[in-house]
Amino acid sequence: MPTNPMFWRIVRRLLTGNYGRLFVILLALGAGAAVTSALLNLQMDAKRRLTTEFRALGANVIIAPRDTNTTSSGATLDEAVLAQLPSEYEGKTVPAVGFLYLIAEVTKDGTTRYEPAVIAGTVGRGLTEIRPGRRIEYSEALESDPSACEIGAKAAAQFNVQVGDTLLIQNQGRAAVCKVFAVVATGGTEDTQIFVRLKEAQELADLPGRISLIQLSVTGTPDSLNRFLSALAQKFPDADVHGIKQFAEAEGRIYNRISGLLSATVVLILVLTSLCVMAGMSNVAVERKNDVGLMKAIGGSVRRVLRLFLAEAILLGIAGGVAGSAIGLLISIWLGKAVFGVAAHPRWIVYPVSVAITVLVSIVSAFPLRRLASIRPASAFRGEA
Amino acid sequence: MFLRLVADSFTRRPRRKLLTLAALALGMAVATAALSVSLDVGDRLAREFRSLGANLLVTPQADSLPLEIGGVDYRPANAGAYLPEGDLGKLKTIFWRFNIMAFAPVLEVPVETWSPASKNWSSSGVVDRATLIGTWSGHTVPIPDGTTYVTGVEKTNPWWHVDGKWFAEGADECVVGSAFSIKFGAKAGDILNVHANNSTGWQKLKVVGILSTGGPEDNGIVAPIAVAQQLAEKPGQYRRVYVSALTKPEDAFARKDPKTMSPDELERWSCSPYVSSIAYSIRQVLPGTDVHVIRRVVEGEGRVLTRVRTLLWLVTIVALLAAALAVGASAAASVLERRAEIGLMKALGANSGLVGVLLAAEQLLLAFVGGGIGYASGIVLARVLGERIFGFAPAPKLFVLFLILALAALITLLGSAFPLRRASRYEPAPILRGE
Repeated sequence: MPTNPMFWRIVRRLLTGNYGRLFVILLALGAGAAVTSALLNLQMDAKRRLTTEFRALGANVIIAPRDTNTTSSGATLDEAVLAQLPSEYEGKTVPAVGFLYLIAEVTKDGTTRYEPAVIAGTVGRGLTEIRPGRRIEYSEALESDPSACEIGAKAAAQFNVQVGDTLLIQNQGRAAVCKVFAVVATGGTEDTQIFVRLKEAQELADLPGRISLIQLSVTGTPDSLNRFLSALAQKFPDADVHGIKQFAEAEGRIYNRISGLLSATVVLILVLTSLCVMAGMSNVAVERKNDVGLMKAIGGSVRRVLRLFLAEAILLGIAGGVAGSAIGLLISIWLGKAVFGVAAHPRWIVYPVSVAITVLVSIVSAFPLRRLASIRPASAFRGEA
Repeated sequence: MFLRLVADSFTRRPRRKLLTLAALALGMAVATAALSVSLDVGDRLAREFRSLGANLLVTPQADSLPLEIGGVDYRPANAGAYLPEGDLGKLKTIFWRFNIMAFAPVLEVPVETWSPASKNWSSSGVVDRATLIGTWSGHTVPIPDGTTYVTGVEKTNPWWHVDGKWFAEGADECVVGSAFSIKFGAKAGDILNVHANNSTGWQKLKVVGILSTGGPEDNGIVAPIAVAQQLAEKPGQYRRVYVSALTKPEDAFARKDPKTMSPDELERWSCSPYVSSIAYSIRQVLPGTDVHVIRRVVEGEGRVLTRVRTLLWLVTIVALLAAALAVGASAAASVLERRAEIGLMKALGANSGLVGVLLAAEQLLLAFVGGGIGYASGIVLARVLGERIFGFAPAPKLFVLFLILALAALITLLGSAFPLRRASRYEPAPILRGE
């Protein structure tokens, strides 16, 4: 860029020559920049948000012993594995719950007919995140009871129990008592199970210190989830670590759709912006014939004249981009709130990117000014077209 | 003379008008495309979410408690209740039959199995226990109204990937889970021998594909339901059926108990495809069943679907606003450029009103032409975008055309109003002098 003060003086005059037009061009560029930065930011946020939304669907990683399908007691894992799991991944807590399953004879206190049911001993943090669905009955007061247990909706109907009732559990001569503090409905197999504390289940199954499997709910993009899986698989070579694919696939697909939609909108709006600015600039070109003729007549080179207009376009782009992108980021915070219920986190990388894009659009839209290069001073002064 | 002036301004400087027209047309094309896609995409998005898998589970009402651990039911084959397979066609006769996208019955049998392929110089072959899951794949279901419907587990559980192909109905074929395939060394083309605990003979099944699901099925064998029925000695029966239905996301109203609703509310409830009302109508055609809502799927689907729909509309509004701003700006610019012309007209005796009407007429003409072109190209754009992004082409809607034309006229007039008002105050003399 030239340091010649005259150069900048001319640029200033060019810009302020017609305030109406300056405003119009800035408006178009600013609108384009705002949309670009808002949607780009939303796009980056959508990926994170969608993963969070889908994570609300429960566990997505399972750590199981290598061979599980032989018998009901089957192979088990050491309970210590649970303590070795990372409690955080990429800054988010990772709910992890160990389960020990056994089949035991169960009856409601006061009746005598025992029926088999699946007992799940649980230990760890975040059972409600791991197990989707809701508690249709719940008593907070009873939860702290040392022998508290939860019961699936279908099992509750089968045994005719409600919150506050007591269940008797028997397995091969070992017996336990538990007090129901919640009834859960998930629509899955959990509906038929009874959830007790791990210690109790281990005593019933006579498997001290053992668990059947661990379920985790890891928040992250499919890529980072895969990294997490392979890290775990390395850490526990004896266990079978796998992801639940049911939601991963739908998640990727939906993210692609959203991202495609946002990108297409950004591209369209940018083309539109540049067309509008171009329409304005082509008028500028007509108007400046005389100016350019004069500049050339007094010895300005074509290159110098073009540099002048280029500087003008860049300045316009920066002004429109800086203001528009800032507004766009604010809009995206609001958009994030409206769509995902949580304000979108502004990514600062979006800001320079969308300013740069706007400057680029502005330079491209100054294309009609190129015609001015071929003006002959003499014919311009004679008033010829 | 008026018309001639308008016509002249278009023919004399076609290039200048062309750019404004192009900006207008593109702006309106963006608006058309955004509107068409948003208006049409709601239903399609719900369909997209069916890739999450079945959202309803039907089990016998008088069933004993399933003893299911890791996808394996440890109940003996003779315990618990079964349902007749022949009734399943009735699922497509319910009020919401068009919302039933797929269904597949399941009958699980614990079996012992061995594969000759696992027999080699170092081992004599593994005989071990596994679960055989009998279900449908590409099964033709007769519907009571005389038609047929093709469905199967590959539709209810679209994330199940088969390397190879699915078994053919009526053939002694099966697909095996990926973990099973490693353990037993069974590959596509191998023969697998299975027998249930209560039978003596070995049934031969040809492995035609390797299944990977990420779930307990990875350890099992999936075969036609007829094979499972034969092994379990339960001909024509199944234990549960998974149903994949298109539903409306649940809201507070959907969670109300239908028993406590007023007649009006009940009608509204049963006329909305909530998952609970679909479950209700399934229960009516399949007596003796319990219909469970698979919460994990329904809640996730509802939540994400609502989010994506809002997003779509907001993006549409943002695109509309940006298009309006850009179009308004170029309309304003096109009036601003014509100071000299306005000055001349005034010098020749035209009053401000006439100048305003003349310019407004020009802008309106531009708006209608641009809006029309924009609508036509917007429809094409919507098709391209719809097909690339959502995999379908939205149908053109006539009312969008009117909306777009009105929008174009409004925006160009609004954009021109401000410079026009200024133009009406111009003094002709300084303008003509070039000041």
